[in-house]
Amino acid sequence: MTGFLENFSLGCQVALTANNLLYCFIGVLVGTLIGVLPGIGPAGAISLLLPITYGINPASAIIMLAGIYYGAQYGGSTTSILVNIPGESTSVVTCLDGYQMAREGRAGPALGIAAFGSFIAGTIGTVILMLVAQPLSEFGLKFGPPEYFSLMVLALTILTYFSSGSMVKAIIMAVLGLSLSQIGIDLVTGRVRFTFGITNLEDGVGLVPLVMGLFGVGEILINLEESAGVEIFKAKIKGLLPNLKDWTDSIGAIIRGTFLGFFLGIFPGGGAIISTFISYALEKKLSKHPEKFGTGVIEGVAGPESANNAATSGAFIPLFTLGIPFNVITALLLGALMIHGLQPGPFLIKQHPDIFWGTIVSMYVGNVMLLILNLPLIGLWVKLLKIPYRILSPFLLLFCIVGSYTLNNSTFDVLVMLIFGIVGYLFKKFEYELAPLVLAFVLGPMFENSLRQSLILSGGGLSIFITRPISILCLVIALLILLSSIFLRKRRQIIAKMG
Amino acid sequence: MKKHDLLGGLIWLILGIGLCIESIKLKLISGGFHIPGPGFMPFLAGVLLGILGFILIFSSASKGLRKDEEVKDEKILMKKDWKNFLIPFLNLLILFAYVLLLEPLGFLFSTFLFLFFLFKLSEPKKWLMPLVLSVSTVILSYLIFSVWLQCQFPRGIFRF
Repeated sequence: MTGFLENFSLGCQVALTANNLLYCFIGVLVGTLIGVLPGIGPAGAISLLLPITYGINPASAIIMLAGIYYGAQYGGSTTSILVNIPGESTSVVTCLDGYQMAREGRAGPALGIAAFGSFIAGTIGTVILMLVAQPLSEFGLKFGPPEYFSLMVLALTILTYFSSGSMVKAIIMAVLGLSLSQIGIDLVTGRVRFTFGITNLEDGVGLVPLVMGLFGVGEILINLEESAGVEIFKAKIKGLLPNLKDWTDSIGAIIRGTFLGFFLGIFPGGGAIISTFISYALEKKLSKHPEKFGTGVIEGVAGPESANNAATSGAFIPLFTLGIPFNVITALLLGALMIHGLQPGPFLIKQHPDIFWGTIVSMYVGNVMLLILNLPLIGLWVKLLKIPYRILSPFLLLFCIVGSYTLNNSTFDVLVMLIFGIVGYLFKKFEYELAPLVLAFVLGPMFENSLRQSLILSGGGLSIFITRPISILCLVIALLILLSSIFLRKRRQIIAKMG
Repeated sequence: MKKHDLLGGLIWLILGIGLCIESIKLKLISGGFHIPGPGFMPFLAGVLLGILGFILIFSSASKGLRKDEEVKDEKILMKKDWKNFLIPFLNLLILFAYVLLLEPLGFLFSTFLFLFFLFKLSEPKKWLMPLVLSVSTVILSYLIFSVWLQCQFPRGIFRF
């Protein structure tokens, strides 16, 4: 217990400095902003800000980038409720009842309960993360190369399973990401691979140009194509504070959503998205008036909005305990850690307690900031929605170019980014999902090394993967998932329903 | 039949085969007898990519489509849709031109041109608004990136 208090106060020392409070504020502000704006998501925003984090210390960098992540979950609900367009994919369900509430003149309580629900969930989620991460990282110490390899196979399998389109295409994306990560000098033998004589490629393809291209430029190009006018809800928003009846109706949903979201957030793939759908279905099932769902029921907003926030806390568990990211955002955070020369893994919490505990404390602070940003200032965000996308997009493009140029002060990175922009645009157009590619790209070097180390350990035999209990468990589950996707056509229907 | 999946599948198949050939040149097994070499992992990836490309070709050719999928497929490949490519294409053209001109013309001047053309693209009938927006953005980005964040940008032939 004293150890815990010591750690916590260390976290306070890190997170509560003026500097880090500022970075936390920038993070949650940017998060809210991009959550409100439908054109750009947290992955794009984090990749835009990654170059800025090079110059600051790693704790501040993670504090800011994490702020964008959970901040976006707050902002995403605003557009769902007011415009019926989800700002983020995790706010799709919020449209169902949130927009109906707004049409009935109850936009205020809907926005209010979304913000309070997010706050409660974000805070409880952070408490659970704080309590379980350290013990779990002790468990992570048992992981050797074979376990890591099998776990990564499982993670990528689950991710591709839950991708919205065809699973074959999702696996293709993962394989492609893996191959891209192998460009450059092979760390074991020093051989140069797949550079085609381009010296700039010897260090490999940079994470920042890749993600900025795919999620920044690619997304902007797609949006430019389909930029249609957005009809904004005109009624005045009043009475943001939910009344007592709203609270009694939704407190159960908030608590259930929190635990559901946190638990599902730990798993790879769209844990956050899935948790919002399950939370909505669960509330409908438990409700005394299920027939009213879809007509503006406050539980239908409170549950999913809490779930998506708690899921972001859950997603930090694999990152901090095993050093393996399970979704794109935590993959980018891992990238940020590695840029600063930190080795993520089960030792991270022990070796760099300032980063882990500083981030935890900053998450409490950030959630309070977000509550303030999202309740009194809601009118400001609504005004932002009125800026046409075609006016906004040149700024975003400029930011992408400046960001990738400043990486090495060379136009080579900018060209790489633009090429991935085209690639990302085409992939989106032809229904290939980008998340498996990015995750596999980040995991790539670890994936290859753990496979090669395992084979060296075993003297070339594959049996090492099936004689170790944790490893075989992961592989069997991955195999079952693959088989079920081949034999059960139901997956398609479930995914189709989720949109 | 999903035409774009057929094409995609072919691309992945060829890419997979290419990856395998390159990997074999890199040596699959290095040094000792059982130690995987630099080409080991790319070879596996190439094989997998080839198989998946083949599956994609096979499934796109054999499987009948549901009605909604058919409509979607039409939509992606429809001629009319090609018009939609125009705006992203022009944007890309301006982006590439910007990257090429960045070093010779310098950051400030090329950024001005870049923004001006992009804003002009979105508001083709107006002159004043794109001009004001791009000039003010250039000044603002100079203050933020060069003065505050101390980024080093090419100064170009105009020395500014």
